Amino acid sequence: MIVLSLLPLYLLVALSSLTYATSDYHESLTLQPLPQSSLLASFNFRSNASQESFDERNFRHFPRALGQILQHAHTKELHLRFTTGRWDAESWGSRPWNGVKEGDTGVELWAWVDAADDQEAFAKWITLTQSLSGLFCASLNFIDSTRTTRPVVSFAPSGDHSDSSNLYLLHGTLPGEVVCTENLTPFLKLLPCKGKAGVASLLDGHKLFDASWQSMAVDVRPVCSSPDGCLVQIEQTVDIVLDLERSKRPRDNPIPRPVPNDQLACDTSKPYHSDDTCYPLEKTSEGGWSLSEIFGRTVSGVCPLGDSQSSEETICLRVPHERGVAVSEGAVETRKPDGFTRCYTLQTSSAFDLVMPAQEATTHVPLDEPVLRAERTIVGHGVERGGMRIIFDNPSDTEAVDFMYFETLPWFLRPYVHTLQSTVTGRDGVRRQVPTSQLIKGTFYRPAIDRERGTQLELALSVPAASSVTLTYDFEKAILRYTEYPPDANRGFNVAPAVIKLGGHENPIYIRTTSLLLPLPTPDFSMPYNVIILTSTVIALAFGSIFNLLVRRFVSAEEAAALTSQTLKGRLAGKVLAIRDRIKGKSTKVE
Amino acid sequence: MTGKNEDPGSSQTTSMPANDTMSSKAGALLLPPPEKPEAIRTRFKVIAAFWAVIIFLGFPIWWKTTSIYRARLPIQDMVEWADGKSCRPVFPLEIHFETPSLPESEAHHLLRATQHTLDDLNEFSAHHLRLKLSGEGAVAGHDDMLEQPQPSLDGKADNALTVRLLPQENLAAPRSELHPDTIRLDVYYPPSQIPPPSASNPPLSAYIAGELQNLFTEEKAIIAQVLSDSSVGGTNPLAPSSANNQQQPSVVLNSISPQLAESITRRLRRSMKYAETYHLAFSLFTPGSEPASWDVQTAVEEYISPLLQAFTPISNFTVDTQVQLYATSAPTAPLPEYDETQAAWTLKKEDLSAFINAAEWPLSPSIGNGPTINFILYVPAPSQSPMVVKESSATGWIIPQWGGVFLLNPPLSTADYPSNPPHLSQETLRPAFLTFSHQLLTLLGAPASPASLPFRLQTLIRVRAATLLLSASSTMGSLARLTESLPSIPIPANVATSVSTTLSHLTSTCEHLREGRFQAALADARVAEAEAERSFFEKSMVGQVYFPDEHKVAVYLPLLGPIGVPLIVGLLKEVKRVITSLKAKKQQT
Repeated sequence: MIVLSLLPLYLLVALSSLTYATSDYHESLTLQPLPQSSLLASFNFRSNASQESFDERNFRHFPRALGQILQHAHTKELHLRFTTGRWDAESWGSRPWNGVKEGDTGVELWAWVDAADDQEAFAKWITLTQSLSGLFCASLNFIDSTRTTRPVVSFAPSGDHSDSSNLYLLHGTLPGEVVCTENLTPFLKLLPCKGKAGVASLLDGHKLFDASWQSMAVDVRPVCSSPDGCLVQIEQTVDIVLDLERSKRPRDNPIPRPVPNDQLACDTSKPYHSDDTCYPLEKTSEGGWSLSEIFGRTVSGVCPLGDSQSSEETICLRVPHERGVAVSEGAVETRKPDGFTRCYTLQTSSAFDLVMPAQEATTHVPLDEPVLRAERTIVGHGVERGGMRIIFDNPSDTEAVDFMYFETLPWFLRPYVHTLQSTVTGRDGVRRQVPTSQLIKGTFYRPAIDRERGTQLELALSVPAASSVTLTYDFEKAILRYTEYPPDANRGFNVAPAVIKLGGHENPIYIRTTSLLLPLPTPDFSMPYNVIILTSTVIALAFGSIFNLLVRRFVSAEEAAALTSQTLKGRLAGKVLAIRDRIKGKSTKVE
Repeated sequence: MTGKNEDPGSSQTTSMPANDTMSSKAGALLLPPPEKPEAIRTRFKVIAAFWAVIIFLGFPIWWKTTSIYRARLPIQDMVEWADGKSCRPVFPLEIHFETPSLPESEAHHLLRATQHTLDDLNEFSAHHLRLKLSGEGAVAGHDDMLEQPQPSLDGKADNALTVRLLPQENLAAPRSELHPDTIRLDVYYPPSQIPPPSASNPPLSAYIAGELQNLFTEEKAIIAQVLSDSSVGGTNPLAPSSANNQQQPSVVLNSISPQLAESITRRLRRSMKYAETYHLAFSLFTPGSEPASWDVQTAVEEYISPLLQAFTPISNFTVDTQVQLYATSAPTAPLPEYDETQAAWTLKKEDLSAFINAAEWPLSPSIGNGPTINFILYVPAPSQSPMVVKESSATGWIIPQWGGVFLLNPPLSTADYPSNPPHLSQETLRPAFLTFSHQLLTLLGAPASPASLPFRLQTLIRVRAATLLLSASSTMGSLARLTESLPSIPIPANVATSVSTTLSHLTSTCEHLREGRFQAALADARVAEAEAERSFFEKSMVGQVYFPDEHKVAVYLPLLGPIGVPLIVGLLKEVKRVITSLKAKKQQT
């Protein structure tokens, strides 16, 4: 009887899940220990809405606040990045997601806007940045025409767009933006489970922004699997590299303490080894950690929205299979055949914790070598001129690397493109000056207009095998107007990182350099007032003497004395003296 | 210096009379010869030249460079509009009579008698009913035109109501019936009651007049309330014309029952400010993970869209919906209490204002012009279900000028532990959306009675036209006062254009109202209101505030001080000299 009475309910559930299959939700977390006791945690949240419901503004898993902004600004595809810190490619290898989900230091935004012409596209872009600024509590509204570029080859739409739409790509960066908790809170609010259930419950501002490197990404794109069934997909990603030692510090006592002497692992074979001298040995054992220890909390169940959630592997861990791992009860472990990956299927409503005890490391998860290393610095001295140096290093011994190099420079940095020079350094350390045409296959250059737009430089470059290429060019620093300086002018001005794109449109790899700090000549800001006061004084002096020369009457000194006695002042002085005399005379009489 | 020292030295030893000889001696010895007239004249010319430059060059340049553009505004007209002197809103409502079974002369007679009775009953002259036989003005038998009232472009007055007189056998007394979906009142009467042409006050016409009077009581009260509110809030309540205006509404307000007056003021307080476009946001909030989906699209189509369709002559609407899970109430919000007698979790009435967790729930207003009206469907957690309001056991309430809330308690599943259904069907949503549609009507300011929706919309058009007329007029008054009280703010030319557009549209609104064309009046009033708001909130009018004149003077004081002092002293001396020389001349002559 019970089964019979429940049957219609099951049918109803099955039916409703069929009806809403287009509106699904997935989330995952991948944990990968990195060298130097770091841990990479990649959170990914993806949800879909059908294009119809999106157009009719019936939002379910898709956040209404963001959906409205996209519709209002006619934005078809959006990519927003919040990044802090630096990815240490030397020790951590290639970037997560091939660098596709990471952005410039600070905030980076690029979007494809549907508009009739370029001017309209820019107006919509401004609407978009203003609205996103309010939504994410970031200074995105400062992306004006000087910080907006229109990249030609460096970015390609990742969504499926209909051919009829007239799309414009606009790109803007804010390298000086400090990403912090106030950006994370609205980011979490966009998730259907709001960080209260599922892997998002691990995200805590204190830990996230204490990381060595972190990147938050929001991607919205249309996905058309069949010609009439299009979806609008939103994918939110958080990648963080945590320093395990730092994260394990207790919250109530976060001050680091030195390791006691007897716990130091020293190389005793060194001749100088003694009680007070120690050459530290590389640790052979991996320190133990647990989710609750490094994130400060456990995963509270799953976000029960995905219809296939029961069989989904939410949390994956990339460690060798022989590594011992303890997890909470109820979680089902699946080991992947590659020997380094194991995934866990979580219980719906019970908390999940993962404990890695300390263990002697025998094998390591192999890390991918980055395809290209890039470094960009400002060289030169003085406040008038400077130079830019970009070093591309190709670690491969056999293959040349072709890539697109894209940089935007603020208008007050005026590059001299004719000074562009390239040097090739081989593994033997021999430097060769080569003509730039030998390395640069194509150039797109859009010069700056003062106070209107910045320089945009896109180069198609090729670095030969087993060598590094150094590009240099000179630039001049402009002098800004008094009101154009920010309050912290002496700190310097941020120059946005360069973006390097490798590979084709299908599986691109992105690398970003670090952002730069450009010192500009800064005036003394009380100067205008000093100038006004000094000029006024000089003018007043000159005026006073000329006026006096013209108006005064010139007499001799004796004549002047006589005149003085005639004036009110002179007469008063005389009266005072007379009174004094009288008093003196009286006093002498009395005597 | 030396002279000064000698002078006292010589006078020290001499007595008072000797002093005279001494000074005369000194004068004879040391005084310079009197100045030559040319020198005096030259000095006069120099000082005059400097002052001429200052007055004829300096001041004009300073004036020109620091003056601000102030476009001329018709201040007098604006103040008159604000004080209600320019327009006295009147509402002559045209009511058409269809008398298919009556001969024309009898119908005319009946009409006249009814009109007479009505005029006797009415004590609020701004709002009065004019009866018309259908054959005269409008085309008879026009049933469907009332569904969607068309703006009358041909200059005819809008039809406020159609009364159809139908004879019906075996009726003791006449009875009337208002069609719920048109603006038609059917009056059934026993054929024996047709008044003979000689009767002066037949019972049928008295009955019809009473019915009409009843139908329009609420509208009359609302309009009276709106008019009296505006004249109380106006700048000059003691002006004779506004005092005249005020008298009548207060008569009406005194005559209606206190309950009705109370409900009208409450409704006026709750309803949203008028806007061209309203954004409706329907949100499903639940503290857990279920229900995660709802048949909102069909529910909106079924229960809300027809209403919005009917509102199109007044405003436009956009609709968006969202589902928000894990929406917990604010930590400071009072928790619901379990009530044994009601077998439900109860929220106290005074705690309802803290129910919405504004900090965490994503209820951001929609982008674009116009206010957002939020409708929140809250499904309580299974452990707190069912949830009701303690005092009234109600499950919905209105948040004035913001939106509505409905607590939906769906049947819990009977599994091991109770849980909410994962999906809300349209049938489950029905009570919620019926409540929302009612709340929407209230928030938009529609009157509560009578039952016919088109009739209520017609009333709303008239009320909105009156409100907009008064609000645009008072904005004009505020702008006039603002520009007069702050002489340092600039007035750009487009403000003057907006003001003149507003005034002309206000005039035509008033004209349309007098002619009884309420649709056209509303259209004009909308333009007037939009222009008035635009002129009042012009951005460039507040630009000068941050750089005060004192600042400029302080910065340039090092220049103005040293230059100004010798110039002024020179001028004073010269003036003194001229005066003394004039006096001397007078004495000579």
